[in-house]
Amino acid sequence: MSTLLHRRNTVQNINELIASAPATSSQLTNDHRASLSARFRAVNATSNRRLDAWMVEQAGKPYDPFHWTPQIARRVLGASALRRITTRSDLSLSQAVRDELADHLLRSTAGYTQSGSLSYWLSGLSHASLGLVCAEAVSWATTTYEVLQGIERPWQLAQSDAYYDVSAARTSLRGRRDIVIKHDEQRVVLRLRAGSPGKSSGPGLRCDLTIDALASPTGAAASRFIGVWPDAGVCLSVDGTMADLRAGARDLVRTAVVQQRGQMLKAA
Amino acid sequence: MTILAPNSPLSAIEALRGDKTKRPISDLSSASGLRAQLEDGIYSIMGKASPLTPLVVRSSSLRQNHNTIDIQQASLSLFRGILVTQVLRLLSVGVEVTDPFSEALSAWRCEKSGSDLVRSFNQLDKEQVARLEADVNAHASTLKRSLGVVSATWMPRSCVRASQRFAGGHVLLFDVVDLMVGSTTSKFASVALFDVTTSPLDAGAERTMRFHALMQTLKTSVVPLRTSIFSSATGELWTSDVDYEILSRSVDEVLSTLNDMWKYV
Repeated sequence: MSTLLHRRNTVQNINELIASAPATSSQLTNDHRASLSARFRAVNATSNRRLDAWMVEQAGKPYDPFHWTPQIARRVLGASALRRITTRSDLSLSQAVRDELADHLLRSTAGYTQSGSLSYWLSGLSHASLGLVCAEAVSWATTTYEVLQGIERPWQLAQSDAYYDVSAARTSLRGRRDIVIKHDEQRVVLRLRAGSPGKSSGPGLRCDLTIDALASPTGAAASRFIGVWPDAGVCLSVDGTMADLRAGARDLVRTAVVQQRGQMLKAA
Repeated sequence: MTILAPNSPLSAIEALRGDKTKRPISDLSSASGLRAQLEDGIYSIMGKASPLTPLVVRSSSLRQNHNTIDIQQASLSLFRGILVTQVLRLLSVGVEVTDPFSEALSAWRCEKSGSDLVRSFNQLDKEQVARLEADVNAHASTLKRSLGVVSATWMPRSCVRASQRFAGGHVLLFDVVDLMVGSTTSKFASVALFDVTTSPLDAGAERTMRFHALMQTLKTSVVPLRTSIFSSATGELWTSDVDYEILSRSVDEVLSTLNDMWKYV
């Protein structure tokens, strides 16, 4: 049975979702990991593939090659700026974003960047474009900060997204996570997204839950995974049950299959 | 309630923030009533019918009749509006804008590289670009003079999007507010919405102000403190405190627009 819940994005609802998270959650064992790896190995990959919830939501549709845009950069910069203000309360969000931008530009000037990296891209932008990137990052950071302000339990910003390399299958999985709320042995994870949720947002959320559990050394799933869409004023949540974890893993494998078929058709 | 200030405020931002001691307690209860009002109204218009494509209402739908603008007919005024908005975004994060046209264009190209509108812009001839440049510089100068300093502590956000689905997804409401300041989590109402238009203000501008307030209320379930619209053509600023009456009026305007649209489906 699906544990998907749909709520309005209000301070009260988010706190209720966090407080009512199940006291227990499932755990992925080595057998589960081996089984997932075998399934991915069965889907031939001509090159390394990376899967995430977005691809699952898009049903494995081919996507344009990655390139940085202000909308993509805002999450990285915004999250780093928020980390800065958690340690330095005298900083404003705008100042924290500007400091973050300055750090990236310094790194680039010092020659510590590779082509394709965020720092490299930022170093090639005009003064005005950097201003726009700053405006986007400030808007993203402020939206996230508003969500954080409303959370009653102690929270921490996720140090990074969840990454899991499926052994011997040339596949890596990437799960988004923004805020982690730890309570006793359990944790609740929040993920923020722009836009509004569609019909496939539930499966996307389950994929992030599964990847988060796979990336955990103990394999313990979050007791609840909450997706927040501030633009639409909506939040969805799924619980860390074995049924949801299995559904997430199944959707990821299916996406790999669809991608492989697409590549075969293209080659033919 | 529209405020008529006894003394003209020094800047638009100052007018938006107003007197901090006179702010009402955040209204967290009106949103659900407005949502219900909209759902009931939409049902009375559409009944159980399901259109093949959803009906989309934006702030521009309230300002004109429901005919959409063809991308090929994108006029200079459309580009002017886009570029002036970019200038506002830069000003909101404290960027010193010395050459508004080129800086706004550079920022816009960085944001929308490869879009149909950018391609359409690239097809403008030299004379049109020169006219647009002069226009944008003039509008940006009015905006810069009137906006004032946006303090970082007011949590400015630019191009704030909102989308709401009604009637099982058959009706979509979309909105973008150019600039928003204040917090939705404070005890007292503090969110102020600021929209910039390059046209002179008219009755349509009032509807836009109300629509922004409605969408913000539906999105966050918190009624904003103030909504405003600024014309960079005339330097005029209209500002209004948000209350249930204004929001309810906007619901009626949305329903009336939908009714017109439904006749053509």
